[in-house]
Amino acid sequence: MDKADLGTAAEELACKHLRQAGYRIVARNWRMRLGEIDIVARDGDVLAFVEVKARSSAGFGGPEGAVGPRKRRRIVAAAKAFLAATDCDLASRFDVVAVEDGDVRIVRDAFQVDDVWATV
Amino acid sequence: MFGRLSSAVVLGVEARLIDVQCDIGGGLPMFQIVGLPDKEVSESRERIRSAIKNSGFSFPPGRITANLAPADLRKQGVGFDLPIALGILLASGQIPPPAGRTIVVGQLALNGDVQAVRGVLPLALEAGRSRFDGVLVPVANAPEAALVPSLPVFAAATLREAVDAISGTAPRYSRLGEPDGDAAPGRVEHDLAEVRGQMAAKRALEIAAAGEHNLLLVGPPGAGKSMLAHCLPEILPPLSREEALDVTRVYSVAGLLGDEGALVARRPFRSPHHTVSYAGMVGGGHGIPGPGEITLAHHGVLFLDELAEFDRRVLETLRQPLEEESIILSRAGISVRYPASFTLIAAMNPCPCGHLGDEARPCTCTATDIRRHRRHVSGPLLDRIDLFVDVPRLAAEELMDVPAGESTVVVRDRVVQARERQWARAAETGASSNARLRGEGIRAHCRLDAEGGLLLRRAIARFALSGRGHARVLRVARTIADLDGSWDIGAAHLAEALRYRNAASLRET
Repeated sequence: MDKADLGTAAEELACKHLRQAGYRIVARNWRMRLGEIDIVARDGDVLAFVEVKARSSAGFGGPEGAVGPRKRRRIVAAAKAFLAATDCDLASRFDVVAVEDGDVRIVRDAFQVDDVWATV
Repeated sequence: MFGRLSSAVVLGVEARLIDVQCDIGGGLPMFQIVGLPDKEVSESRERIRSAIKNSGFSFPPGRITANLAPADLRKQGVGFDLPIALGILLASGQIPPPAGRTIVVGQLALNGDVQAVRGVLPLALEAGRSRFDGVLVPVANAPEAALVPSLPVFAAATLREAVDAISGTAPRYSRLGEPDGDAAPGRVEHDLAEVRGQMAAKRALEIAAAGEHNLLLVGPPGAGKSMLAHCLPEILPPLSREEALDVTRVYSVAGLLGDEGALVARRPFRSPHHTVSYAGMVGGGHGIPGPGEITLAHHGVLFLDELAEFDRRVLETLRQPLEEESIILSRAGISVRYPASFTLIAAMNPCPCGHLGDEARPCTCTATDIRRHRRHVSGPLLDRIDLFVDVPRLAAEELMDVPAGESTVVVRDRVVQARERQWARAAETGASSNARLRGEGIRAHCRLDAEGGLLLRRAIARFALSGRGHARVLRVARTIADLDGSWDIGAAHLAEALRYRNAASLRET
């Protein structure tokens, strides 16, 4: 399995898990010039921007640790554009779904916008 | 979604009310604090976020804005952690609305513990004055808040407890002991009876205490200057309830209250080292200026040992507080006033080697050395010292054979009686002690009889007394008469006062 396939498979798995956890999937692989979001979903009254992180083996601090400042900035930029494009005024949250050897974990509120700027 | 609470910021020893407003809106998740927060206030975001999550609440999604109004006043300190956290919980509907108007202050630890802050007493006093329904403070600060009579105090050790308190489901903090009683003076620590000989200096110390006169002790090393100075706070009348509250307020702001946080019962004695900086002496530091030694000595004694060694600029800054009993510290956009009503007692050697005027040991200083030594403290500061006294090296028989002198308790009784006469006059003069007498007060209460008038006229001519020097002699004579139980100043009182207008060892060169 190459890298891209691993990613697609992980996203598929993540969506399944999110639905089971009560999320409603709104959009997938939403892209713009400055960044992209793997999954946009609704968790009750909250709009969740979900980043899927897959690793074929454990180690390196786990997949959620791999969402670095650069990646976060791209996600935040895309989320901003998404809210503007859809004219949505829901409260939002950044979640990370960690996929590791078929094991899936949802990390809610993984980071915030001010964390991103603090690490720049 | 909106939540609102009251808190306060302490400027000097006064608290200013701050309206803490929290709003949670849609949009990307972020948390910002506006309203001119300093660095430590901005950093509170991380503490608040962790404390909320670790206390079993959820940190709400979306955009959170906390505003500290009035927005043009700089906010400093860590006391806003708790009110902002509660504001967020209110705004997100996780807790019921507050049961009453409460001022909230406290620092949060990451695990949700509420930690002590500075300046709780001024805040509680303000809450009492502005008729709030109570204050919510960290447990460690509850005793000082409870010093304010009839103000309900709620104490919290954790964010959870703070939530219960603000919703009105927690009991009030109960005071330990009687909050309205006078501060108990307790046991004498530095007893005057332990100082051998030095009758003249002890007498001067008593006069200084009786009239709040500033005093300079001049003598060689080891003569007992420092011991004498340490006795002064306990010769002064015990702190009144008002004074004790004033002192406690200063120590609350300085973060120097002990763990029990109760009323400060002893008159402060501050003895800064001669290397003390300008900011250390009068107050300063980053952000809102903090209190210096002169404010920590409020209603007490400031002892400057080795006066000639102090930085001259530092000594110069004492002039304003000595006149006005307070200091105003101005920084960009902020001006803070601290009380500084203290009795100054200074000690110095007559010359760099210390033995000038000593019959047994010759002085090894050159005339230039001595001039430089004196010049350090000459002028405006000495002008504000009412009493000068020599503390010579004791002869062998004085060290060994002299019986123990009067105890501090005996001397204090006389001082209190002399001070009561001054308090009786205070309604008229507006001066709490003789050292504070000004023009009209001196004219009305320092009248001399014919003999005294003649003596003073001769002294003015002989010693070339200035207007200020003249007033000084009269104020000291007034105190000596008060100690003597006399309403009139006699020639003997005046003659003694004239003796303290300079130290013998400072005159001869």
